[in-house]
Amino acid sequence: MNIIEIRGLSHRFSDGTLGLDAIDIEIKEGEFIVIAGRNGSGKTTLLRHLNGLLRPQTGSVKLAGISVSEDFVRARQMVGMVFQDADSQIIGETVYDDVAFGPENLRLERSEVQQRVSMALEAGGLIDLADHRPHLLSGGEKRRLAIAGILAMKPRVIVFDEPFSNLDYPGVKQVLEQILTLHQAGHTILITTHDLEKVLAHADRLVIMQKGKIVRDGLPNKIVTETEAFGVRQPCTSRLGLEIGSWLI
Amino acid sequence: MADLTAFSYHPGRSFLHLLDVRFKIIFLILISLTGMQADPPALCLLTFLFLCLIKSSRLSLISILKELRYFLVLLFFVLIARALSTPGTPVFEFKLLSISRQGLYDGILICWRLALVVLLGLIFVSTTRPSEIRTAVAWFLKPFPFIPGKKVATMIGLIMRFVPVILAQAKETSDAQRARGIENRKNPIYRLVKLAVPLIFKTFQNANNLAVAMEARCYSENRTDPDLSSKKNDWIAFFFVICLCILVVEI
Amino acid sequence: MNQAEQLRMMVYASLLAALTAAGAYIAIPIGPIPIVLQNLFIFLTGLLLGSKWGVASVAVYLLAGASGLPVFAGGTGGLGRLLGPTGGYLLGYLPAVYLIGFISEKMNHRRFYDALAVVCGTIIIYACGIAWLKTITGMTLTKTLAVGMYPFLPGDVLKIVAAVIIAKSLRPVIGQR
Ligand SMILES: Nc1ncnc2c1ncn2[C@@H]1O[C@H](COP(=O)(O)OP(=O)(O)OP(=O)(O)O)[C@@H](O)[C@H]1O
Ligand SMILES: [Mg+2]
Repeated sequence: MNIIEIRGLSHRFSDGTLGLDAIDIEIKEGEFIVIAGRNGSGKTTLLRHLNGLLRPQTGSVKLAGISVSEDFVRARQMVGMVFQDADSQIIGETVYDDVAFGPENLRLERSEVQQRVSMALEAGGLIDLADHRPHLLSGGEKRRLAIAGILAMKPRVIVFDEPFSNLDYPGVKQVLEQILTLHQAGHTILITTHDLEKVLAHADRLVIMQKGKIVRDGLPNKIVTETEAFGVRQPCTSRLGLEIGSWLI
Repeated sequence: MADLTAFSYHPGRSFLHLLDVRFKIIFLILISLTGMQADPPALCLLTFLFLCLIKSSRLSLISILKELRYFLVLLFFVLIARALSTPGTPVFEFKLLSISRQGLYDGILICWRLALVVLLGLIFVSTTRPSEIRTAVAWFLKPFPFIPGKKVATMIGLIMRFVPVILAQAKETSDAQRARGIENRKNPIYRLVKLAVPLIFKTFQNANNLAVAMEARCYSENRTDPDLSSKKNDWIAFFFVICLCILVVEI
Repeated sequence: MNQAEQLRMMVYASLLAALTAAGAYIAIPIGPIPIVLQNLFIFLTGLLLGSKWGVASVAVYLLAGASGLPVFAGGTGGLGRLLGPTGGYLLGYLPAVYLIGFISEKMNHRRFYDALAVVCGTIIIYACGIAWLKTITGMTLTKTLAVGMYPFLPGDVLKIVAAVIIAKSLRPVIGQR
């Protein structure tokens, strides 16, 4: 069964902007998908429908067969979301508190919360920083903290909105490595970006959006040559006719 | 721009660090209330006791005094005001000013009490994690109907999270404006508005994003209960504190 | 009010409490006494959040300070700070913010009444502050006013005007998501 199934989804904001226009997409468990498109093409709006932060106005969003609007808590636990702005999603006053926020909201037992937090901190390499104040962390550490915060909720799908913005080269590498590890562990990964270079080598599928519509959807190698028509820069290597290399090598 | 000396918490494993935070708060309140009525002998006893506590928790007296410097200035002002304005037998006279014996005695007494109460508060925060304080507040509010304790605790956590971010933002905003010569504008209202509006606007935007992020992580008022447990030591300490309070009131 | 809306108001209330705490450390150097922003944010708490959430915001602020977190001007101190010489001003914030929010809501945020509300709030803050300061220092009322109120009045007038202008320009932005 598809883990995500979106049918005829449209969304119009209260000020009249059409954010999404008849989106249809199916995503299989374990896929690694990159969603690209220029600023304002509707990427963030689409992602926010996956866990019920926005409600579908027309159409439907189903997670493993069950509609999101039927059970928001289930949707939010199943789809973990790492937001565009790493700073504004830090809730706790220490790294530990922040990671514990999600599991505590799920009303898990205290021991289970502790176990999940250590697991998530471990995965992000943040164990030594557990007592630190989040706002003093580096950009890369903040992003990993955001990831740890959702890992503690054991999501099946992890959605990254512009995970590489504001990161330096080592920061990008660390976050990318972590994303790949998560993918190997069986998580379904969705990443939005307008900078394909950093991730495309690892993706199974590339989706291009424009003005709230999906305009291309397929194997990265097949459609990467068309991206520039939609305001997304084509990676250099691919422009030269070479295969797209990984940033990790 | 002064920096916030937030989190004067000093990690450690001393007796005070290990006490249950709920007991610590009860002790804090009991000793503060009795301390406000204490007389000099009892104040000496309390002072001695607090110094021992500071020593045993491995806090530095110097940094505590530094933390208290503004408050001590205030107290000094109170002392002067008391000494000058209470009528009685003068110990010192200079033209219109006269310092009376009663005034001096009253002033010292009040300042001593206040200084001790504040010192105790400082010892408490230095040995208690802010998150523990927050959970204890939630625990104490639980029996009150209509006061959502866990919500209050979440709000306190958010305040502690926002303050450093706001200070950084304020510095950035004022630097950016200084770079564009705002100091040449003499109208103070203009400058207040031009600092506060972008500052609040930016922080409210952050707050909006934060609210969405909390929603995405299933925020609910009904969260896992905090992890609080009392041990034998807490009850022993409780017994001693009660004795201390009776002693302080009696002498 | 739905749940997402409740959550947002709660975050706003925490935010204004945090601004009040930070306001003690933000000063604009004009004239001999630098203008500290703390009570400006108290005024704004009332004007922007209204009486109910305004009171919640200030109450949580005071509770956080009383339990020892460093949110009062000049560092930590806990309960002792509320009993200390300036404690009256701090406690006065609570009725002041209620009154500001109440008047401003009832009068539909019209500019004149906003100003009136803030003036009333200021009077309450000083009434509480001066009463406590007088008790603790034992000074005469005239002397207490001379040290605890008059020097700050010019700054307060500026802050009152600024608060009304700021509230006016921020209300439309804050209302929407
Ligand atoms: N709350 C809102 N109210 C009105 N319009 C909105 C709102 N949020 C987004 N929009 C509009 O919807 C469109 C899609 O926005 P969205 O944030 O999904 O784009 P995006 O692809 O994520 O862009 P970016 O790359 O800049 O993040 C944009 O035109 C934007 O201006
Ligand atoms: Mg976006």
